Amino acid sequence: MFKNEEMEINMGPQHPSTHGVLRLKLKLDGEVVTSCRPEIGYLHRGVEKICENKTFFQGQVWTDRMDYTSAVANNLGWAEAVEKLFGVTVPRRAQYVRTLLNEFNRISSHLLWLATHALDIGAMTVFLYAFREREAILDLFEAFCGARLTTTAFRIGGLREDLPPGFEKLARAFVARFPDCIDEYETLLTENRIWKKRTIGVGPLGAEDAIAMGVTGPVLRAAGVAYDIRKAFPYAAYAEMDFEVPTRPEADTYARYLVRMAELRQSHRIIQQCLDGLPEGPVMAKLPKVLKAEVNEIYHPTECPKGELGYYLVGEKGSANPYRFHVRGPSFINLQALPMMVKGSLVADVIATIGTLDVVLGEIDR
Amino acid sequence: MQTMTLSQTCVIAILQAIAVVIFIFVVVPLTTFAERKVIGYVQDRLGTTRVAGGRTGLTGALNRGMWSLGKVPVFSILRGLPVFIGDIIKLLVKEDIIPDKADRAIFMVAPAVSMIASVVVFAAISFYPGALFTFPRFVPIVGGLPFAGFLTDMNVGLLFILGVASVGVYGIVLGAWASNSKFPLLGGLRSAAQIVSYEVPLTLSLMVPVVLAGSLNFNEMTRRVATGMPIWAVPLLFVGFFIYFTCGFAETNRVPFDMPEAENELVAGFHTEYSGMRFGFFYLAEYINMIVASALASAFFLGGPFLLPFGLQSFVPASTPIIGGPSIIWYLLKIFFLLFTFIWVRATIPRYRYDQIMAIAWKYLIPFTLVDLVLAAAIRFTMP
Repeated sequence: MFKNEEMEINMGPQHPSTHGVLRLKLKLDGEVVTSCRPEIGYLHRGVEKICENKTFFQGQVWTDRMDYTSAVANNLGWAEAVEKLFGVTVPRRAQYVRTLLNEFNRISSHLLWLATHALDIGAMTVFLYAFREREAILDLFEAFCGARLTTTAFRIGGLREDLPPGFEKLARAFVARFPDCIDEYETLLTENRIWKKRTIGVGPLGAEDAIAMGVTGPVLRAAGVAYDIRKAFPYAAYAEMDFEVPTRPEADTYARYLVRMAELRQSHRIIQQCLDGLPEGPVMAKLPKVLKAEVNEIYHPTECPKGELGYYLVGEKGSANPYRFHVRGPSFINLQALPMMVKGSLVADVIATIGTLDVVLGEIDR
Repeated sequence: MQTMTLSQTCVIAILQAIAVVIFIFVVVPLTTFAERKVIGYVQDRLGTTRVAGGRTGLTGALNRGMWSLGKVPVFSILRGLPVFIGDIIKLLVKEDIIPDKADRAIFMVAPAVSMIASVVVFAAISFYPGALFTFPRFVPIVGGLPFAGFLTDMNVGLLFILGVASVGVYGIVLGAWASNSKFPLLGGLRSAAQIVSYEVPLTLSLMVPVVLAGSLNFNEMTRRVATGMPIWAVPLLFVGFFIYFTCGFAETNRVPFDMPEAENELVAGFHTEYSGMRFGFFYLAEYINMIVASALASAFFLGGPFLLPFGLQSFVPASTPIIGGPSIIWYLLKIFFLLFTFIWVRATIPRYRYDQIMAIAWKYLIPFTLVDLVLAAAIRFTMP
């Protein structure tokens, strides 16, 4: 007389907490998820193909628009990949400024993650506290390059301009108050019973599965694997910086939260070292007017706030455009783990898991 | 007390009903305004400021004199107050969409069910156990008669309140089902399970003052719980209050128990398909339910119109000036404080997961209430 049916439900692409235009095809048995299939591509612009028709200088603008919450980190990867392709050496001061801004970007990206993740779980006040500090960082970006979100911060060979006067003072003011701000977020969440209940044991992803899926970044480090490209293959000025790679063994949403909070503190440490040890000198290497690649290919990984951001570039002899451009985007690859992480959990956990993966659809769809 | 003619009774009843409705529709917009402002200040921002900010608009008209004297006007902290008028206008003029595949009749009736159930509860709520004022002699028909602080004085007042309030969940469930859409369906199922579960500890915790007072009459209960308690009843009422108020959060679908409409999971929960004033009814019902929950908690646990909560008033002689006797001011202040608590909690803590909410009700709240109730019964047994 009665029959059991699974309910198929479309979460997204119009949904308050799928962080953009992600669409999940969920099969529900009551509230329990029996299968989850992410559908992507609603924001596809063809960034990789477009960049093949642009010069190396023009291509950087498109990297802003992939992961728009960490544009500086994307710019850094592009600039360094191209520099590697042509064998350009960047002046030391430019390396330091790049590291400095990259870490500011990591903080702002993690703050955005914290804000939205907490809001998804219902803690709406953290959202505005985190945005308050993010605003200060965006002001710094604006002071440096005139743009807040799509920065196109660096140039191939260094920086277009040195740091503007007054920038250091602003940055130091932020550095001075930021540790208290992290404490403030932590008082709201870290020992909050409801927060712990909602995150401990939710969205588990063990080290073996994570490595098999190619998952990187804080998600991998929360599974106990201390893999950070800043340490493993140092780039920019990271070889000279003293910092730790925070890890947690639990591999759940709460562990990822703790790892990211610890990373905020480490980024703060790096910024302090950059500001203290900022060398004098030029910020731009001598470059020819038009870059012409010898046939050559390069893969350059960087540690984007979300994970390993790799740029694969193939140069063409006598051409100012890349012959082939491919991005290994951390959000895209981390999202693959979602079906595995949410299987058998409740609908509310799907939201928490999307939040903890910290995906940005601009980069997934490219 | 002089006997009243039928027409006098009717006129007074109508006037009282109007007063209660005015009270509701003044407090609800004020609560929405307070919600914006309080959450704003908790979150380090200003809340609504755009309407009637300074020299213009409604409060601007009142403030212009003070601006011209070079002073910051009194109303400036209330900036944004007229936003609720805009809210109401917006809800009224918005297109009323009924989905094609919806069950039209039920879809249209459901918001009214929620709304009516929450308003009718006020018929049995007493704001003041006696006459608020007496009509002056020159008033036709009702001159010289008292205007009581309650609508009805029925001897099963609490039973009536619980019975009517529990009808409200039908509005949610029917509205969700009639929408014929998946997110509302999930929201409706959640709320059916949640509200039915929380009805149990809620009612049981209200049984503590009922047992202690030995009455179901609203005025009698309030008076006896506030003024006639032995010292051992105080901790029981204290525990009962927290259980009742926790359940109140669940019954009114507020954070941390706002499962039925968990915005970040279910889009808008049971009212996803509703728009315009039909949505407005659900919205109003939620706020009226908050007032009801606050009013009941204040009356039965916080001493109602008497100053001291949890039966502590029993140890203050009734002849003490100001704090000895009942006053509607105390009662309203308590209601407003509890409404503030609803908002405060919303700004502070995250949301529980559905299965955790059910576990709280069945594993913790119900056993605790039962123990509380048994102890209350034991105290009642020893009372004269």
